[in-house]
Amino acid sequence: MRSVENALQLEIPLNAQYIRNLIMAAHGVHDHIVHFYHLAALDWVDIVSALKADPKKASQIAESLSNWDQNSAKHMKEVQDRLKTFVASGQLGIYANGYWGHPAMKLPPEINLIAAAHYLQALHYQRRINMVVSILGSKTPNIQNLAVGGVANPINPDNQSALNMERLYYIKTLIDEVGSFVKNAMMVDVAAVAAKYADWTKYGAGVTNYLSAPDMPMDTKGTTFALPGGYIENADLATFKPIKSFNDDFFKNGVKESIKHSWYKGEWNRHPWEESTDPNYTDLQYEGKYSWVKAPTFNGKPAQVGPLANVLCMFAAGHAPTKKYVTSTLETISAVAGAKVGPAALHSTIGRIGARAIRCAVLHDECTNQWNALIANIGKGDVKTFNPPTFPSGEIKGVGFHEAPRGILSHWSVIDGGKIKNYQCVVPSTWNAAPRNGSDQPGPYEASLVGTPLANPEKPLEVLRTIHSFDPCLACAIHMVDAKGGEIIRVKAL
Amino acid sequence: MFQEPTVTILGLGNILMSDEGVGVHTVNEFQKRYQVPGHVEIVDGGAAGLDLIPFIEGREKVLMVDAVNFDREPGYIGILENDEIPVRLTQKASMHHLGLMDVLCIVRMSGNMPKDMCLVGIQPKSLELGLDMTREIWDKQEALIERVVEKLREWNIPCALQSPQK
Repeated sequence: MRSVENALQLEIPLNAQYIRNLIMAAHGVHDHIVHFYHLAALDWVDIVSALKADPKKASQIAESLSNWDQNSAKHMKEVQDRLKTFVASGQLGIYANGYWGHPAMKLPPEINLIAAAHYLQALHYQRRINMVVSILGSKTPNIQNLAVGGVANPINPDNQSALNMERLYYIKTLIDEVGSFVKNAMMVDVAAVAAKYADWTKYGAGVTNYLSAPDMPMDTKGTTFALPGGYIENADLATFKPIKSFNDDFFKNGVKESIKHSWYKGEWNRHPWEESTDPNYTDLQYEGKYSWVKAPTFNGKPAQVGPLANVLCMFAAGHAPTKKYVTSTLETISAVAGAKVGPAALHSTIGRIGARAIRCAVLHDECTNQWNALIANIGKGDVKTFNPPTFPSGEIKGVGFHEAPRGILSHWSVIDGGKIKNYQCVVPSTWNAAPRNGSDQPGPYEASLVGTPLANPEKPLEVLRTIHSFDPCLACAIHMVDAKGGEIIRVKAL
Repeated sequence: MFQEPTVTILGLGNILMSDEGVGVHTVNEFQKRYQVPGHVEIVDGGAAGLDLIPFIEGREKVLMVDAVNFDREPGYIGILENDEIPVRLTQKASMHHLGLMDVLCIVRMSGNMPKDMCLVGIQPKSLELGLDMTREIWDKQEALIERVVEKLREWNIPCALQSPQK
């Protein structure tokens, strides 16, 4: 949509920008909570070990780290009792998972219990913040309110069937309800896990060129953004160069994709507007084509994208809330670890997980900022949400970008007489999961796994830790129940 | 009148992956043909993962239809009830792999499992990319709907064919 708007050089009403921004920020908070607690945490947290914890001690530890109000000894005991019933029921076959009790699990029982309690609490908060997305977008995750030129939300403060004050204040209640969980439970849990797995600051850095998009446009033309983005080369924050607008040539001319190692016809390295996507499956050829993923590059180099790239770019750009949360997270980690941990530790597997929690807090603040901006603008009497597009005859080209939960997303369109002639999406997981590129440089996943120690090669938990830290987006998942509850996914080392 | 739902009929699966979508197709067809009381909610659960939780936790009864691997011939229909339904956290490559077994496990850990659960499962033939199910599985749709109706009767939940004029 931004790609088409960019091709048309269309201005977007302020209300539409704020509503879109609010959806993006709330969706990001939801996504980061779910990723940490319900996907990544189980690589580090051993639920079975939580059964051995002393609930009183767990409560004391948790209360010493933050003022979150759901850390009482009584609550810890209740959670532990539920876990006991759950494990004792036997039919669960809890060890079939294979990773609990793994030698690479290092957290003390009390920290495991705290994390388990917050894992269950997180279910509630991820749902509450996701309600902001569904109220504004009609459903989630596939929102229905976006249109080229704005949003399809009529604003009328006094009308029951429009976006009115009652709905807007309900959204504010939802935002407020989730803030304390993000800042006092999630950020603290992530810091505690990071501190106890300090070794993991040494593994998984991979590609340290970082690319992220500026997002949350605050004007109708998309030239000022609440959250900065840009490019950092070779882990050096001093090299940061910002992407300044939706029309910035630095980004527009920098992106290319190679298919030398991908199952598509040809062997080119092209700009997205010039690309094709013609499948050509060849079997796994480790020296030839071996992936459905294309290999994107930024100015000829592979780049890592995602919350870590975003946090580093915002930090380098001097974004104050990011600096605040990076500093407070590193302080908590240092306090728990009993040793000073600096920003260099972020270039790692555990750094990616830490950065996601930091970004979650930044986005939560942004939910509030965008809500305030929307209310203030409506207060001025502006209720416009849509500028109708008109398509010229002849060919036009556009690019739209967005800093999605998994990193920079860009869509590239070529439009001829109002019809799409070419459309290419360069999505976050394509950057990170890329095979080797045209000059045979590995992408972030491949590079990050080199040198990872394995306690048990049959159960490569450590590989999952690093891959999960990127928050992979693998589409078209199959969710089949196995009548025997067997393990369905398998990891094959290439 | 709106009634707080206490029973869920849940169709599960990814309709982009041929037979994987069998649960959704079946429940949609059931909804077209049958009328159910106000406390019964019919849900296209798709591949929604954690978003399924509100439709499961705290409900009295949940009836699910999904593709299940029984290690049997394609089209084999099996019924799993309560403790027979596997509940566990599986290893996942991505958040998008969070499936029914995980969701049920999370509901169990939260302590809000429904009193009665039934999974009407069918062995799929193909899980390839495609909007259409295979012939073999389409042919079993009537049988699946019958199983759903039988189960509802067993649970004393009335369901009647809708009048065709509608």
